[in-house]
Amino acid sequence: MYAENTFLIQNKLGLHARAATVLAQLALQFDAKIMLYQDDKEAEGDSVLALMLLESSQGKEVRVVCEGPDATAALNAIGELIAQRFHEQE
Amino acid sequence: MKLSSLTSQDCSKAAVLFNSKKRILEFISELAHEQLPHLSQQDILNALLNREKLGSTGIGRGIAIPHGRMSGADKPHAFIIVSESPINFDAIDNRPVDIFVALIVPDGDCQLHLKTLSTIADRLKDKEFCKQLRSAKTDQELFQVIASEA
Repeated sequence: MYAENTFLIQNKLGLHARAATVLAQLALQFDAKIMLYQDDKEAEGDSVLALMLLESSQGKEVRVVCEGPDATAALNAIGELIAQRFHEQE
Repeated sequence: MKLSSLTSQDCSKAAVLFNSKKRILEFISELAHEQLPHLSQQDILNALLNREKLGSTGIGRGIAIPHGRMSGADKPHAFIIVSESPINFDAIDNRPVDIFVALIVPDGDCQLHLKTLSTIADRLKDKEFCKQLRSAKTDQELFQVIASEA
């Protein structure tokens, strides 16, 4: 299974430590290899350190690529988390 | 941005001995207050504790990045503490933590904060760097490891 989509980072703080941790925890729940791409950078979805290296700020577009049995479910869940601004107020 | 520009030898502590999350955060707040005396130790501790309440800053592989956003901080300051024995920190991978890269950062500048986080992530992703941090026996040795970047 393969699924990919591009999502807009909407929360004010971007992919800061807490948001990166929530994303990595979510990624760990799925049987899928999850990669994020932004500009010329890439990160494994289950690595907080790698996600922080993306420096994704509000307004950036991030491409998420999932491969494996849970690819579609993982992509949907990650897309929803980003759309919900990582459960942050703004 | 370089990690060494965010810290100093006075802010690098090797082989400390603590056995709880609360105690290491207290130690960080004392260290930060010594360097930033205009910020009260209690305010720094509260900022760190409040951040941990939102979710542990234990990001895996024995590393934690406790941090506080404080309006009185002029720029990002990093404090690097290596514990003699790992401490339970409710980390993402449940592994106890022995490398603490604590940050006191200005409130409000989102881009600067993301840059600061990527600066420390860039060094910490290097397993050899982490190994050297863990091997440092004195504060001076620890800071030499931090300062030795291309």
